[in-house]
Amino acid sequence: MAQKTPEIYSVELSGTEDVGKTDTGDGKEKYRGLKDKRLELKKNHQKEELKKEVDLEDHKLSIKELERKYGTNIVTGLSSTQAAELLARNGPNALTPPKETPEIVKFLKQMVGGFSILLWIGAILCWIAYGIQYFNDKSSSLDSVYLGCVLALVVILTGIFAYYQEAKSTNIMASFSKMIPQQALVIRDSEKKTIPADIRLLSTQGCKVDNSSLTGESEPQSRSCEFTHDNPLETKNIGFYSTTCLEGTATGMVINTGDRTIIGQIASLASGVGHEKTPIAIEIEHFVHIVAGVAVSIGILFFIIAVSMKYYVLDSIIFLIGIIVANVPEGLLATVTVTLSLTAKRMAKKNCLVKNLEAVETLGSTSIICSDKTGTLTQNRMTVAHLWFDNQIFVADTSEDHSNQVFDQSSGTWASLSKIITLCNRAEFRPGQESVPIMKKVVVGDASETALLKFSEVILGDVMEIRKRNRKVAEIPFNSTNKFQLSIHETDDPSDKRFLMVMKGAPERVLEKCSTIMVNGQEQPLDDSTAEAFHTAYMELGGLGERVLGFCHLYLPADKFPETYSFDVDTVNFPTSNLCFVGLLSMIDPPRSTVPDAVTKCRSAGIKVIMVTGDHPITAKAIAKSVGIISANSETVEDIAKRLNIPVEQVSKRDAKAAVVTGMELKDMSPEQLDELLTDYSEIVFARTSPQQKLIIVEGCQRQDAVVAVTGDGVNDSPALKKADIGIAMGIAGSDAAKNAADMVLLDDNFASIVTGVEEGRLIFDNLKKTIAYTLTKNIAELCPFLIYIIAGLPLPIGTITILFIDLGTDIIPSIALAYEKAESDIMNRKPRHKKKDRLVNAPLAIYSYLHIGLMQALGAFVVYFTVYAQEGFRPSALINLRVEWEKDSVNDLEDSYGQEWTQYQRKYLEWTGYTAFFVGIMIQQIADLIIRKTRRNSIFQQGLFRNKVIWVGIASQIIIALILSYGLGSVSALNFTMLRPQYWFVAVPHAILIWVYDEVRKLFIRLYPGSWWDKNMYY
Amino acid sequence: MGPPTYMGSVVDQMVIMHYGTVISLILLFYLVFYGFLAALFSFTMWAMLQTLNDEVPKYRDQIPSPGLMVFPKPVTALDYSFRVSDPESYRGYVDDLTKFLKSYDLEEQKNLTACPDGALREQKGPTYTACQFPVVSLKGCSGVEDPEFGYSTGNPCILVKMNRIIGLKPQGKPRINCISKGEKTATLSTYPSNGTIDLKYFPYYGKKLHVRYLQPLVAVQVAFNTTSTGKEVTVECKIDGSPNLRNQDDRDKFLGRVVFKITMHA
Repeated sequence: MAQKTPEIYSVELSGTEDVGKTDTGDGKEKYRGLKDKRLELKKNHQKEELKKEVDLEDHKLSIKELERKYGTNIVTGLSSTQAAELLARNGPNALTPPKETPEIVKFLKQMVGGFSILLWIGAILCWIAYGIQYFNDKSSSLDSVYLGCVLALVVILTGIFAYYQEAKSTNIMASFSKMIPQQALVIRDSEKKTIPADIRLLSTQGCKVDNSSLTGESEPQSRSCEFTHDNPLETKNIGFYSTTCLEGTATGMVINTGDRTIIGQIASLASGVGHEKTPIAIEIEHFVHIVAGVAVSIGILFFIIAVSMKYYVLDSIIFLIGIIVANVPEGLLATVTVTLSLTAKRMAKKNCLVKNLEAVETLGSTSIICSDKTGTLTQNRMTVAHLWFDNQIFVADTSEDHSNQVFDQSSGTWASLSKIITLCNRAEFRPGQESVPIMKKVVVGDASETALLKFSEVILGDVMEIRKRNRKVAEIPFNSTNKFQLSIHETDDPSDKRFLMVMKGAPERVLEKCSTIMVNGQEQPLDDSTAEAFHTAYMELGGLGERVLGFCHLYLPADKFPETYSFDVDTVNFPTSNLCFVGLLSMIDPPRSTVPDAVTKCRSAGIKVIMVTGDHPITAKAIAKSVGIISANSETVEDIAKRLNIPVEQVSKRDAKAAVVTGMELKDMSPEQLDELLTDYSEIVFARTSPQQKLIIVEGCQRQDAVVAVTGDGVNDSPALKKADIGIAMGIAGSDAAKNAADMVLLDDNFASIVTGVEEGRLIFDNLKKTIAYTLTKNIAELCPFLIYIIAGLPLPIGTITILFIDLGTDIIPSIALAYEKAESDIMNRKPRHKKKDRLVNAPLAIYSYLHIGLMQALGAFVVYFTVYAQEGFRPSALINLRVEWEKDSVNDLEDSYGQEWTQYQRKYLEWTGYTAFFVGIMIQQIADLIIRKTRRNSIFQQGLFRNKVIWVGIASQIIIALILSYGLGSVSALNFTMLRPQYWFVAVPHAILIWVYDEVRKLFIRLYPGSWWDKNMYY
Repeated sequence: MGPPTYMGSVVDQMVIMHYGTVISLILLFYLVFYGFLAALFSFTMWAMLQTLNDEVPKYRDQIPSPGLMVFPKPVTALDYSFRVSDPESYRGYVDDLTKFLKSYDLEEQKNLTACPDGALREQKGPTYTACQFPVVSLKGCSGVEDPEFGYSTGNPCILVKMNRIIGLKPQGKPRINCISKGEKTATLSTYPSNGTIDLKYFPYYGKKLHVRYLQPLVAVQVAFNTTSTGKEVTVECKIDGSPNLRNQDDRDKFLGRVVFKITMHA
């Protein structure tokens, strides 16, 4: 591959063609070193970790030492046997892909997670109970075996369902990741080349590399053979694996391959960082603990009560199972999964691709966003930002399409300047892109020239045509010694036979060559005051973090340089001094136009936005200011010192709201100092940071109990992405390593999508609260029957199977429907929730669901139950303590309140009718419960009863399922449903209405008396 | 919680007072709320009870056909086991039968009507009278001649009764038909003869209206064959001869029939 494009870039591997075979003998030691580093990372030994930041010494060695170290020769290279040996020992030159959890482990996790354990215990108790029964009486009924099987089936089915849901969302991810260009650094033939391994450069020729994916620096870095810096990332004589060479040629020796390259080290650092539990996972765990705690403690309490009431232990075990089943919301976790995946789908439509389902909510609780600069906040391309001519700075439009260039273009100076910009430029559009918008066209040339080309194309129109009319006759390309670029053209004015010489380059160099300056189209002598103005402008633009270029020209007199004159660039047979200075132009990688607005929105949502970049502090600060990460009126300590003209040490730190901290400063900070920094300043920019430091910053934020989101695109970001509570990678510009480490991928690379994510995350959190409150409520209505049954000896009001039909039947669609509920108020104007204080399930939620609505529901359902029994002949008074006789198989002439006698089966059938009645009672009141859960604070009428159509689908599904169970399956005796008289369906309606009215009153008081004891205890 | 004590107790007291107020407010709230719920529940239950009729239940759809039940009341399963030589082993059965037949005492039946046989006895009220059941029709199982109900002689009696159902009017000529299942180890005699249940006992008008109602009984007396070695018999009794009284239901083993087992040891 090196041979294909020798004029641009080549890697000559000293005779060996195989890149992967030239590794060192100390690979193993290096690997061990890496492991040590990871261990230390876990122990959080900041200093040692920093020392080991990058594990590379080779850049300091001389070529001779290198040859000795690697046992090779820079001319002949390794022998093929040596190479084969090395390949066998070190493996091929590739990164180890990240390990994936085996599917079976994922599946088993679903089988034992959450409430599953409780239900398994229930099932096993059932079987044990049957075993004891069978031991005592061979003919005992198989009911408890069936129940055990049903419970096991429920666990397995919900487990399979949750697994399927997750697998499905993973598949969505997989299909999307195919859409994401897998190679952001495309190897375009003859234009860019990816460096195949870590290379110590031996000889270079104008070589420039793009290290942005590694260090975050957006500017191309020049490479040479000299050792220039201790830090291997900064030194010029190393080329890194997976970075691109933009121009020039270089020859080097491979020093590291595969996982042992710098990139490989960072990638494995990322995989070494443990994945944090997502906030929603913590919340759900917390909730499971609460419910399981309630279930187990009530279960055991009543087990003891039952035993002390002289019930058989066996019966008491059956009660225990009933209590557990009634208490556990079997369908809830599946519902939560569905709800999350619905939101994930919705977010995917808005270009937020969620890899880990639970991360859907994480953005909602995010309180700090650590954003990378290049490619995330900025467009990752050089763009003309300012112009200086006629002693004036003009602002150019840096938005994505450049459409709105408003600066004054009437001046004669601009005419000259634009001509220089157009002509003194070697960049060209790749042919065949006529239909592509200018800003999206592919350009052959370096970043600055590309910026200038696009800038002039937008303002002047067809640049190629202009160049054609001003034919180029000679050219001196840019080089680092001259620091300027020069070309000589014929003019497009047929009457003007002069040649035009145009030059651009480093401003100070260009100015040196000038004796005049153009102001308002007129040449004026360059005096001290204009030079001063030039310097002020130059400093100002440089201070904005922008790269400044100077432009000048000279019309060569026609008498000395006739049309036939032959220019020779080697002897320079033309003047290169006393030129006319025309103007300055500065370029920056500008922020994306949507970013400032997104940052403002994050701010108003109480989220702190911190910039963490590998780029220079000046550039970083400039971008931070322009996107609002440092707001317009806040200053850093240095700014204040400069304004007041006092030393930095004298400035009171309290006056400064913003801080710009470099990696060097960060290196010397203790964790405590970092904590202080993070709490004291509301606006922080970290510049020149290494991947390890990004990790430290994220950990620092997490120490403040913050939920941290990290955005990034480079390989250097991947450890931090992994460490963050939610890592957000860029879909288009992002590297694979970043996408692998992230939990979320922004498909359009748009920072503004994060705001959408925050909004969706907060909404889903609120709606999950509603779903859980809705689901928990009926638990009391399911539990009370068992308690009353044990204590008052009523015939069992509701059976275990019937409960399962509520939990996994009628209640499922309604609880999912709550996920479609719109926000009650502007959720983007409140603070992010506190990880430890604002829980998903808090005391008011549990108390209100269990002890208020749940109890009302239980009473309503009991009314239906008593009605059915009373109208069939058993008055409530007759039911008390009837249990023993009622359940005896041998009693077949049980007398009711009217003197009639019932066989055992006739009673059983009545009992099932009672189950159905109780079930219908709960179902009817759950409709009211569903409606009241639409809001937590506002009245239902403020929210709109019909705005969420899915709620009504849910209500319809409840009624239809109940109708099918009663009338369709009423004849299947195993299900314990019977056909219920139509009027019994309406018995609980007044209670349902009461629930609604009561909740409206609750909400009214909450709105009327915010902060009162009512608000504190009744708002969940 | 709270700051160290030097901070003056005023603040603490205020906190406690405030805390106390809130607690008592909450307690008061729950008192009112649960009081209200209790009142509401009582009211709805009361309102529901108003819809009921004192004499007849609103619906009788769940017991369309009567079940059969036997006496003595079996302890667990329908399995009678006793030893002829040991009076203690059947004492329970005899006591149970005696107690059950107490209400059929001649003395008790003195005020009851002697109704004409063979026809339904529909009444219009306002007072409802019950028919006499001549206990002598049970012959040897009446307890009159043999207070041991045949247990001491190895010919035990079992009484079969049909469950009471308000308004039930049997059609045809209902009778209880008992057969021994399996090997013919015993002969069965039913009293009254043929196991007939007279229609005059129907319909039943309920506990409140039809005071002192006596339901008709049929007695089964088992006589084990002297030849048979095993003194064990399984008896199945069914309602017969009435088209509207069902005697076969897969799920309800007692609907119009009853199966019991008698084991007699020497």
